[in-house]
Amino acid sequence: MTDPLTRLNLFFDDLNHIRIIQPELASQTSDLREECIDFTNSIESFKNIADGFINIVASLAQEVDKEKMKAIGARNLVKSMAKQREAQEQRLQALLLEKTTELERLRIQHQSLAKTESEQLEMMDRLLTLQ
Amino acid sequence: MQLKLSFPKDAEHQDTVSCVSWNNTEEVFSCGDDHVLKKWNLLTTDSQKICEFPEELNPLDFHCFSRNIGIRKTGQDQMLIASSDGKFHLLGKSGRIEKTVEAHKGAVLVGQWAPDGASFLTAGEDGQVKIWSRSGMLRTVPVHASGVPIYCACWGPDSNNFLYTQGKHLVIKSLLPNVKPNRWRAHEGLILKVAWEQINGRIVSGGEDGRYKVWDSYGSLVFNSMLHEHPITSIAWSPNGEMFAVGSFNTLRLCDKSGWSQYLDKPDTGSLYSIAWSADGTQLAAACANRKVLLAHVIGRRVEWGPLEATTTRRKTVVMSNAVHSGSDTLEFPERVIHLALAYKHLVVVTTTQCYVHNINNINTPVIIDLREGSVYMVLLAEKHMILVERSSIGVYSYDGRLISSPKWPSLNTATLNPSQISLGPDCIAARDQADEKVIQIFDINGKEIGTPLSHTTQIGEIGLSNGGSAFERLLAFVDRTRDLYIATVHPRPSTSRKIDKLGSVVQSFKWNSHLNIIAAIQDTSLTLWYYPFIIFVDKKLLRRTAVIKESSEFGHRPQVTTYVGNHVGIRRSDGALINSGVSPYLAILHGYSMSGSWKDALRLCRMVKDEALWACLAVMATQGKEIDTAESAYAAINQFDKVLYLQHIREIKLKPVQMAEMSLLGGNVQEAEALLLQNGMIFRAIMTNISTHNWERALEIATRNRTHIDTVLLYRQRFMDRLGKQEANEKFNMLRSNVEINEEQIDVKVQYELEKEKDRS
Repeated sequence: MTDPLTRLNLFFDDLNHIRIIQPELASQTSDLREECIDFTNSIESFKNIADGFINIVASLAQEVDKEKMKAIGARNLVKSMAKQREAQEQRLQALLLEKTTELERLRIQHQSLAKTESEQLEMMDRLLTLQ
Repeated sequence: MQLKLSFPKDAEHQDTVSCVSWNNTEEVFSCGDDHVLKKWNLLTTDSQKICEFPEELNPLDFHCFSRNIGIRKTGQDQMLIASSDGKFHLLGKSGRIEKTVEAHKGAVLVGQWAPDGASFLTAGEDGQVKIWSRSGMLRTVPVHASGVPIYCACWGPDSNNFLYTQGKHLVIKSLLPNVKPNRWRAHEGLILKVAWEQINGRIVSGGEDGRYKVWDSYGSLVFNSMLHEHPITSIAWSPNGEMFAVGSFNTLRLCDKSGWSQYLDKPDTGSLYSIAWSADGTQLAAACANRKVLLAHVIGRRVEWGPLEATTTRRKTVVMSNAVHSGSDTLEFPERVIHLALAYKHLVVVTTTQCYVHNINNINTPVIIDLREGSVYMVLLAEKHMILVERSSIGVYSYDGRLISSPKWPSLNTATLNPSQISLGPDCIAARDQADEKVIQIFDINGKEIGTPLSHTTQIGEIGLSNGGSAFERLLAFVDRTRDLYIATVHPRPSTSRKIDKLGSVVQSFKWNSHLNIIAAIQDTSLTLWYYPFIIFVDKKLLRRTAVIKESSEFGHRPQVTTYVGNHVGIRRSDGALINSGVSPYLAILHGYSMSGSWKDALRLCRMVKDEALWACLAVMATQGKEIDTAESAYAAINQFDKVLYLQHIREIKLKPVQMAEMSLLGGNVQEAEALLLQNGMIFRAIMTNISTHNWERALEIATRNRTHIDTVLLYRQRFMDRLGKQEANEKFNMLRSNVEINEEQIDVKVQYELEKEKDRS
């Protein structure tokens, strides 16, 4: 059937409004539009979620890095502490050795003085018995 | 000894400090890799940037030479900086570079002024040593390139020789022509530092093998240190040569001149690249790798005298204690304490500008002497006087602070005077001449020369004056280069020269007793005491019997006598330990009796002690005191029968003067005997005394002066010559022979007559 209106590309919809597009097409188009909007919305929200995730991961990475550095620092500190202790020990050992030699010197001096004392006491004894 | 360390607080260098040097006793210069020259004032504790060097100048060695080493006085100074770009720079006081000279290929590692300041040496990585004039003109190149870098070099005591390192070797090189250098292998590792001390001539070297070693000036080893964990990076002698400082990584050590360590500190400084002492020897500065400058002063210096002891506990504090009474006195001074001396009941403290004389009975009210020049090198104490050796003069002071005299001699140079080569006795002063090492100058307390200076055949080392007895019994002891100990009389008797005789050999060190004429010496490793050294001029055979040798394993290797006060000899072992050795107290009592003339007591003492050495001493003392009976008993006790018989012969002489003269003869004093006889008009006997001692010229002199018995002398001389079968060679005798007629019979009659006359007189 050749409707002159159809030839002119004019249609009537169910509500008898004149339309320039076929009513089914029109409704399909609007459906498509709705769906497109829905789709962009969901993409948007996905992007937000993804961003959020990325941020969280990045901050986590930073945190991890920081902790890692801390751990390395602490480990080094422990290591150097051991070295420091060693150096300190060496230092104290050297000072100790110095004091020991000093003590030895004083011991020898004391010994010689004690010897002199005993000699003097002996002499006093002898003088007393002479009297 | 200890070091008290301090670090200037606010300021520091921007990079490693590589060199330090003293400007005067209160100011230190330092420079480092930050190209800045800084000045640190120790009094005000502030620092000041003097100048900034150009970028390419990295200082490696820095030496200030000051002509005028005084307190707060600065003379015409020049600073010498050796740098890594092969140049050296001469700087003025203000830090302005006055001259820069291209000196070596590679870095200049050393720049040192000669002790006299007339020249300086540089040495570098190219292995050359060059000597430059004061203005920086090249004089000589004594060491040509050997390809081994010279890390350190220094001048010898006289500016005629120097010492440098060559890998593991040390080399002493003389500037005089045709003197072979002395080269020896000193360390197992590369030698980094070496220092030569100006007074005793000792050398200290330190290297990468972590040891420091002490050498004498001939290169023989005196001390080898224990192993350090790090290389020795710096070494410096204190100006008086009594100790040296050694620096290493985080280590500063203070050592005695014989090498043993007195004090160790482990400051947090990194390596100490350079150490410098202040001119008074009480402070030191060190350049640290951690950008700091370390300053330290010496505390804990201790002097002892019998039970008394004085110690510097802080820079300006001296604590005096007595071992007999507990408790101590603390003495505070307004200025830094530089010298401390304690002897004969007086404590003498020298600060930077004043001298405090404390009598120990009244310790809190010192006599204060203002120093004339403000720098004292040495303090010597005797019973009633003391000597302060200052920069240009020697001052003799009484203990109440009066200047008595200032002895002078042409070659006197107080800065290089060796403490062991000047001695103060109760009434005289002796010092070895600095120009002629074989001569000893002798002065009385008033600065007048006593006789002519004593001259010896070889170089003289240490000297010492005895402290006991009267002025006429004063003896001078000295050790010469071959380590023989000699004694000499100080006061020459009229018309005779000084008596000098050898007491012992291989003497390492000796000391006179503080109050008596007794000498203690270390011979090899044993201690020898000569109870009465004067005996050597009387009877050499008795010398050994009055000497007591103490051998003891506790003295160890190379011991040294340091003190002899009262009845105690103090001996320092080579490891630094002090050993006290007691001496028989009877000896002091015997000396006391002989001085006061209590011969009976002396005899009783000897009978009680029954010691041969004491008897021998008494025998000679009694002979000197002309005590016939005592001398006879004493000689009998030591089995000297010939002496006893002679004494019995003397006792039979009725004439008192003759008896006295004979005693003098027995005591070895021919001159005294002769004088006694001449005084009493016994000219004939005086002549005969001289004849019998073969003192022909003197006999003739007396005879001609008195115009009598000239022919007798000639006759005896002729008989003597005939007996020997020799021709007369003496001009005087030959001349008189032709003038005087000799009639033998007549002379014999004359002699008989004189003898008769003498008999009549008695």
